[in-house]
Amino acid sequence: MDNKDASMLDVSDAVNHSDPNGTAALTESLSQMNVDGAGELDPQSITGRQRSRSTLIFDDDDEISPYSNHHEHGSGDVSDSDNESTSSTSDRDSMNINGSDQEVEFKKEVQDQFHQVDQPPVQQPSNTTTSSNTMVPVDITWQQGGTKAYVTGSFTGWRKMIGLVPVPGQPGVFYVKLQLPPGTHRFRFIVDNELRFSDYLPTATDQMGNFVNYLEVIAPATEVTGAPTTTTFGTWDSSAQSQQAQQQNLQQNEASIKVENQPLSARSRIALQIEREPDEMGDGFSRFHDEMPQKPQYDYTQDIPAVFTDPTVMEQYYLTLDQQQNNHQNMAWLTPPQLPPHLENVILNSYSNSQGESNENTSGALPIPNHVILNHLATSSIKHNTLCVASIVRYRQKYVTQILYAPLQ
Amino acid sequence: MSTQENREKLHVEQKLAIESIRKFLDSKTSYDVLPVSYRLIVLDTSLMVKKSLNVLLQNNIVSAPLWDSKTSKFAGLLTSSDFINVIQYYFSNPDKFELVDKLQLSGLKDIEKAIGAEPLDMASIHPSKPLFEACLKMLNSKSRRIPLIDKDEETHREIVVSVLTQYRILKFVALNCRETHFLKRPIGELNIISEQNVKKCRMTTPVIDVIQLLTQGGVSSIPIVDEEGVLINIYEAIDVLGLIKGGIYNDLSLSVGEALMRRSDDFEGVYTCTRNDKLSTIMDNIRKSRIHRFFVVDENGRLVGVMTLSDILKYILLGEN
Repeated sequence: MDNKDASMLDVSDAVNHSDPNGTAALTESLSQMNVDGAGELDPQSITGRQRSRSTLIFDDDDEISPYSNHHEHGSGDVSDSDNESTSSTSDRDSMNINGSDQEVEFKKEVQDQFHQVDQPPVQQPSNTTTSSNTMVPVDITWQQGGTKAYVTGSFTGWRKMIGLVPVPGQPGVFYVKLQLPPGTHRFRFIVDNELRFSDYLPTATDQMGNFVNYLEVIAPATEVTGAPTTTTFGTWDSSAQSQQAQQQNLQQNEASIKVENQPLSARSRIALQIEREPDEMGDGFSRFHDEMPQKPQYDYTQDIPAVFTDPTVMEQYYLTLDQQQNNHQNMAWLTPPQLPPHLENVILNSYSNSQGESNENTSGALPIPNHVILNHLATSSIKHNTLCVASIVRYRQKYVTQILYAPLQ
Repeated sequence: MSTQENREKLHVEQKLAIESIRKFLDSKTSYDVLPVSYRLIVLDTSLMVKKSLNVLLQNNIVSAPLWDSKTSKFAGLLTSSDFINVIQYYFSNPDKFELVDKLQLSGLKDIEKAIGAEPLDMASIHPSKPLFEACLKMLNSKSRRIPLIDKDEETHREIVVSVLTQYRILKFVALNCRETHFLKRPIGELNIISEQNVKKCRMTTPVIDVIQLLTQGGVSSIPIVDEEGVLINIYEAIDVLGLIKGGIYNDLSLSVGEALMRRSDDFEGVYTCTRNDKLSTIMDNIRKSRIHRFFVVDENGRLVGVMTLSDILKYILLGEN
């Protein structure tokens, strides 16, 4: 599960410009809208479990109340870590609810792969890029016979076929290692010119109703823990071996993070070796350390920086920012965004648009939601005294968008 | 002799194909076939019936699960038959306009009782049960859909995960089982066409009579024929939604022909077939369009019988034994 938590952070880093107050403000705005009669609606009943509750409006309506005390986050470290803890716990909780089944299902396969195919991930070349567009190595295995196996899927636009390599000593088992961007990928196998799906991988129907395999690729949290793990559908964590491997990883990386994952020259490898040896040299001597530029130590604090409390300081700060960046959007910081950016793309809005084009979508399939919008409460404007609220929750490894219509009483 | 051999070959192929489809349905659970991300529209039982109708039409759906927020429980499915019950109730109790106008979804059960309609026994099934089991349960419940119900692990409350319909399952089979190509026996041989007691009406029949035929026969559509018995149109249970969309139930004196003028423009048309068509062709059509039954006609277009999705599903699940 560690991987998943970490990936949550990665993405939320990019989008989490809302401070914890944002949620409070949103709840406030909810009550301003006079829908707190919604207590009767019991939003709990829609989802059963809603942790972070905030509202967002779909169908771009005019009823978005401006919320006043929304800050752009300035002191990144404090607020980010704050979000880290909340988001990771909630995610872990929900994973507990959902996870177990898939793990059991794949455990066997994963272990097979572990023995046959995968060298321990420690020997993977470490990723030097740490941005969010990191590609993650993923093993795709076909183990249901055949003489030639290919895989095709959303990652190749369903056009190109990627050949799988037979696993020596195991007839009918093929694998390929792909570099995939984080996200959900759908794919099928072509085995001896026949379109097939694997019984050992999660399945779902796509918007047209085709039965496909899918997997969720999770970005490794390279920046924080520096552990370049091979993600095998996030199932590694369940086996004891993987924990060991991860621990090894962590240990190794404590060392390697100091050299910032650069490709190592022979010299620096020796230097690294030396560094790993204990500092204690015996006879009361300890190793001399060159004055390395110390990483600045950050402390947690309860004091709110003046930049947030004193309007004059705040103005000064942002004016300086404006000048430094030399952008001409004068005083753009004065008007906060109406919503955190990730909440502006509501997948329900895209549904009604695509509906006109085809009648194929009989199962109500939606685009795959970004996990940061899970467990939020969305509302439409109240029409004809009917309130419509929606919430996306995980159901095991899938996402249900429940839309509840209730009268406003 | 060779045609005899050929027939036998078709017979064996069809049997094998059906067995293979059955095996497939048994190996997958309802959960497996859900999309990775999908929507589910749920209606609160305190919602007014006429408003729920708007919600259905707006979202282009014909049924929705109900949620009782007082007890936090799943409260059944709203389907077109509920609206038909209300229409019948109003027709026999025209003085109860006030009641019908203000009726909430929670009051539908009383309406059902008042008109003596047989309540649909609402079976439900857990999403991790095999599809085959879900299909069987759906067939036995005489309903065209089955809700997937799970329990929330924290609150132990029921959650409605999704609703499976006959159409969804058959489309799924048509899309994903290559074996359907081998279903080459003429459907006339399979004993899956209802030819006796097929209720039908004329263009001039009052729509309320047609609605009564729907409930009497427990069917989802009534074919409309001319004086020679040639099939010219159908009246479907879901056409009722369009009929009462205006909110007032005073259009019940219309003839069925006039009522059909209310039908939306994207009506797919009436699908027909002959006794010589093969199930493979039928499945191919199900794959391509939203069809809920096929009317079987002879070479002159005269109505012979009807083959519904439940007939097809029943054959796939239980036939060829």
